[in-house]
Amino acid sequence: MEAKLRQEAKTLLEQGKVNYIIGYEPGTLKFTTTPLITKNKEDVDRLVINPFIANNLSVYLTHVQGKVGIVAKGCDSRSIVNLLQDNQVVRENVVILGVPCDGIIDVGKVEQLLGKDRDDIDSITRKGDKVVVAVDGSEKEFPIRQVLYDNCLGCELPTPNECDILLGETVAPSTDTAASLTNIEALKSLSLEQRWEFWEKEFSRCIRCYACRSSCPACFCKRCFVEEGEPQLVQPLPRWEENLLFQVIRTIHVAGRCTDCGQCDRACPVNIPLRSLNKEVYDLVGRLFQYKPGTDKDAAPLLTGYEAEDPGDVFR
Amino acid sequence: MNGNNFEPVILCFACNWCSYTGADLAGTSRMQYPPNVRLVRVMCSGRVDPLFILKALRLGVDGVLVLGCHPGDCHYQTGNYRTRRRIAVVKKLLEYMGIDPRRVQAGWVSASEGAKFAEVITQVTKEIKEIGPNRLFTEEKERHGSEVTTRS
Repeated sequence: MEAKLRQEAKTLLEQGKVNYIIGYEPGTLKFTTTPLITKNKEDVDRLVINPFIANNLSVYLTHVQGKVGIVAKGCDSRSIVNLLQDNQVVRENVVILGVPCDGIIDVGKVEQLLGKDRDDIDSITRKGDKVVVAVDGSEKEFPIRQVLYDNCLGCELPTPNECDILLGETVAPSTDTAASLTNIEALKSLSLEQRWEFWEKEFSRCIRCYACRSSCPACFCKRCFVEEGEPQLVQPLPRWEENLLFQVIRTIHVAGRCTDCGQCDRACPVNIPLRSLNKEVYDLVGRLFQYKPGTDKDAAPLLTGYEAEDPGDVFR
Repeated sequence: MNGNNFEPVILCFACNWCSYTGADLAGTSRMQYPPNVRLVRVMCSGRVDPLFILKALRLGVDGVLVLGCHPGDCHYQTGNYRTRRRIAVVKKLLEYMGIDPRRVQAGWVSASEGAKFAEVITQVTKEIKEIGPNRLFTEEKERHGSEVTTRS
């Protein structure tokens, strides 16, 4: 898959079909990858595809000028469809290099399983539905589902639906979607007061770095409501009340755009379970409006469109 | 706080064309309804940003009510259809966060429904009296402090 990607990327640049390639290259930390945005065809040999390509690269589409070739997993391609629906990106300007993805490995989970820091782990290799971890000269095997990101466990569209060049064999969707909802179900079993206390505690840690916003492809506004000064409805102070207000409104703004890529969760430096919020809304819009974000590029975005038959049972 | 003495403050966003006129009708017809509601006139219920609802709760109102034209009767054709989707999402999300869904309410009141306006206000006020004052954003000390005083 990697060789094919490099080949295709090189051809695209050489033939002038794209000005830029957006992909992944090995990160400076172990078991990470970092975005590679380049117009230089020598750089394409740095492109990689491995089980650590976590970032949702579609967030860069609105920042790069001209024609772009972009590496996209299933969830990323849905994010690109969202950007098309919102007229943020022109389809002709994007060449999507689709990566059928069978899950991204959460190194945090591997660390937890072993009780070791990532620096002490020698290698993490994926072998079918097993993962082999080499540590202290010995090898340990785990079922792959123990170490995948929560959102990957419930992936509904592992093979990119919108893509120009598919780089590998298609992958079947997850059959056990309940596994991705563990945190959410636990939260739902609490009483209203307990839930509010939970979120109060979580948002007390928020430092308002806006990493969630910067890394989210659905958050494409040039000017965010939190920076609005007249009227200033949300204060920029990192107090839990204001943090909660910001995050709830952000969740509503990305409702119908969130594809459950899990990027907000990974971006948060203080580990607030933001995916628990966004995934709940993702499921909610599916239940209420039978709307699957990022699957139909001709559909109106959820909250700007409507159907005469939409449920109105919350209205008196 | 004693439930019987508690008089909630309810913020009501009413659309200019139907609900606000409905409220006018309730007034001119001298219908009785609880004085707990504070009306804010908006040009369309679609103008009500979820942020307004959250901000109102943040500032301590006990309930928020959004009123608009019946589906299909919007002065701007489709404004209230958007409200319908938006409010449904907001209500469910707030419930998931831990806010009683009865604190955020919505309804359709047309210009000729003065009686319905009075009835909606009466019911919403009654429900919010039942759930008690909004202490979501009050300081921890204050929140528990006032509970202690009530019990003693």
